[in-house]
Amino acid sequence: MSSLGDKTAQHISALLDEYGIKHGPVVDSTRSLYEKKLKEAMAKEKKFQPSSDKTYYREEENVTYVYTTPVRNEGSSDRTTYMRPRPEWSEREYDHKTSYSRPNYGGWETVDEPQMYDSPSTYRSSYLQSTPLRGGQDAPKAEKSSRLVPLWVQLVVFLVLAVFLYFVFSNMETNEFLKEIGPQ
Amino acid sequence: MSSTSQKHKEFVAEPMGEKAVNALAGIGEVLGKRLEDKGFDKAYVVLGQFLVLKKDEELFRDWLKDTCGANIKQQGDCYGCLREWCDAFL
Repeated sequence: MSSLGDKTAQHISALLDEYGIKHGPVVDSTRSLYEKKLKEAMAKEKKFQPSSDKTYYREEENVTYVYTTPVRNEGSSDRTTYMRPRPEWSEREYDHKTSYSRPNYGGWETVDEPQMYDSPSTYRSSYLQSTPLRGGQDAPKAEKSSRLVPLWVQLVVFLVLAVFLYFVFSNMETNEFLKEIGPQ
Repeated sequence: MSSTSQKHKEFVAEPMGEKAVNALAGIGEVLGKRLEDKGFDKAYVVLGQFLVLKKDEELFRDWLKDTCGANIKQQGDCYGCLREWCDAFL
């Protein structure tokens, strides 16, 4: 745009209307103010264009999130992925914005950073940091086996633990043990 | 605004006449000097600007900030003062 200072007052007025800027008469004392406003409006307009790329980026983020690993990736692309119908119960846990720190299934996915879901860059960095179970980088179709390794391993570990505890408990039912805890 | 200053009350109580620009609420010595240097040496000249900006709050605030560097509070005080004066006398 050529310099606003060269334009006539009427032209400035027309431009202000174009940008939807409320204004009064363009006189000497108001001219510089309106020129400044027009400059800001023009700069803002230019800024809008690159943001369309951002939406594309978000979609991409969305795709990568689908088959994601348990770690804490829900951070970044929270919104759209929450709406996805996930059959995995553990996955749904992560989908919760607030309570995703809860699931301690196998003990690996200790979700630590609640405020990660801000920018995709933070997501990336944390994703790289998360060592266990990076399963996710393939095709976005993984709705069923998005978890892959984790889930059944978790169940196995759980079962083993349960059996172990049962044995311990059953072994505890002896006189010796009762004597120990008796006189308290 | 929950409460108005003494300066505000005094200003809106009567026609401004030839009052100096310092008499406006929110405009102290420093800002007053800056306004005078720009040619706004009387309160009524600032009033003129206020009216030319169609008594619009945002425009007036922006203008005041650009002209004399008033902060948010000062802008608000001055705007409120002029608006109330206009309601009473214009």
